[in-house]
Amino acid sequence: MVIEAAQRLGTRCILFNQRAFAAASMAFELSADHLSGWIEIEGMGYPLDAIHGVYTRLMDYRLLPELKNEPDNAELHDYCAALHDVLTHWCEVSPARVVNRVSPMATNSSKPYQAQLIQPYGFSVPETLITNDPDTVMEFRSRHGRIVYKSASGIRSIVQMFEDKDVERLPAIRSCPTQFQAYVEGEDVRVHVVNEEVFATRIASAAIDYRYARQQGMEPAQLTATDLPADLAEKCVRLTRGLGLAFAGIDLRIPCDGPVFCFEVNPCPGFSYFEANTGQPIALAVARYLTGQT
Amino acid sequence: MWLVLCDSSDASALWACQSLRLSGLQPVELCTSDSLALSDHWDHRIRDGRATICFRLPGGRMIEGDKLRGVLNRLYAVPIPHWRSASRSDQEYVQQELFAFHLSWLHGLSCPVINRPTPQGLCGRWRHESEWVWLAGKAGLPVATYRQSAHDRIAGAKGERRLVAPGMTVKTVIVVGDRAAGAPAPPPIMEACTRLARLAETDLLGIDLVDGAAGPWTFAGASPAPDLALGGTMLIRAIVCRFAAERAIA
Repeated sequence: MVIEAAQRLGTRCILFNQRAFAAASMAFELSADHLSGWIEIEGMGYPLDAIHGVYTRLMDYRLLPELKNEPDNAELHDYCAALHDVLTHWCEVSPARVVNRVSPMATNSSKPYQAQLIQPYGFSVPETLITNDPDTVMEFRSRHGRIVYKSASGIRSIVQMFEDKDVERLPAIRSCPTQFQAYVEGEDVRVHVVNEEVFATRIASAAIDYRYARQQGMEPAQLTATDLPADLAEKCVRLTRGLGLAFAGIDLRIPCDGPVFCFEVNPCPGFSYFEANTGQPIALAVARYLTGQT
Repeated sequence: MWLVLCDSSDASALWACQSLRLSGLQPVELCTSDSLALSDHWDHRIRDGRATICFRLPGGRMIEGDKLRGVLNRLYAVPIPHWRSASRSDQEYVQQELFAFHLSWLHGLSCPVINRPTPQGLCGRWRHESEWVWLAGKAGLPVATYRQSAHDRIAGAKGERRLVAPGMTVKTVIVVGDRAAGAPAPPPIMEACTRLARLAETDLLGIDLVDGAAGPWTFAGASPAPDLALGGTMLIRAIVCRFAAERAIA
């Protein structure tokens, strides 16, 4: 979608398909005041200083089907690793616009850590407890009534309500501190920020975690484009920039009254689901940013 | 209380712990990653814009974040001995969960922490050699041209490094805040090392230098967890001063 949008803007794009890594090559050199290099894809070479924008959605190369039957020490495996290494590290130091660089994306590897970075931008975060002590969880639950649990790391997990049936397996947390949060009521809004452009989408779903409504036997989430109050939109832009990101998907819950809660800032948002359901031109905004038009 | 967090085999951190005690800081509690792994009570909360932590060490000692006056943090990872028999995927999941957890509570400490954790390393940010060269050049350190290609085969696990040829003697300067200890580099190099630590937003940074292509003090790498003993008593004094300075600012 981003490539199509960039081409509509008249920009020449080259695609690095990870699955074709064996037919690609790359090198760069760096000194105090100089960065140069080249990338070769399917027989065509391109100087790196001619690349002005990079959109990355790389998967873990170790999971590529082309490596499935290769032992970890195979030459093909080593080459794939080295190619991804050079590509990733050039992106970190390149003056090109990169959506997004690896280092600022890393705040998402710890939700409670990221929550502490989010709060100074004027968002609330549900009261959070991470513990390996079942009694502490029960005390937390009795204070808040409804609590949810979810992964603390960036690993995707289904947000679940903590129910009476969960009490008997609570001792399992002794082996690994687990994250619990006070449940907060409100309307879910996903906000995509691209540089200074804001696309807000209202999400209506009966599920605790709308992403899994269908799997949980409920109606799929209903997505509707919406406008945020100007001050809230501005907070989202400042938060995205403050985390060092050019593109982010921000998960908000907006109560009828009171503070706006922010659950997470996703640095590699799967925006196509939202664009397909609402028609919001998110890919075009990403392309405009990458081509220096915003 | 002052806390030293490290792996039980981190001889350098154990030396620093003992040296901090001898310098007059009292009490200094040593807390190894093994003891963190065996804690039966963790309580980390985020509430009203504030993070808190309380945990119990094996033996019953309670550590409360609010009562800490400073932390020397050399934590790389926390072992998961009670997950040894789990599947590989479960072990990977738990490792990531524990990393996320320890990153959060360490970040939330209100006392001085040297080094503060980052998503790229619990004891400070580890960077790729290319990024270090890029930053070192900005800091004014002499840098040789760095080259990287998809056809390189650098066995990092075997200690191979792009910036240090086999047989080269490495000299290490260790920066803590605005002070530098370790190798007796000329003042302009020491100042550039301090600038590099500042650019890297890393309170304590070990900077490797070699007699290389850009001169006798050519940049050769940096680490948030250098061998502290190389800094000697001057480094310990710098750590104590940094703790005091950060508390004064707070």
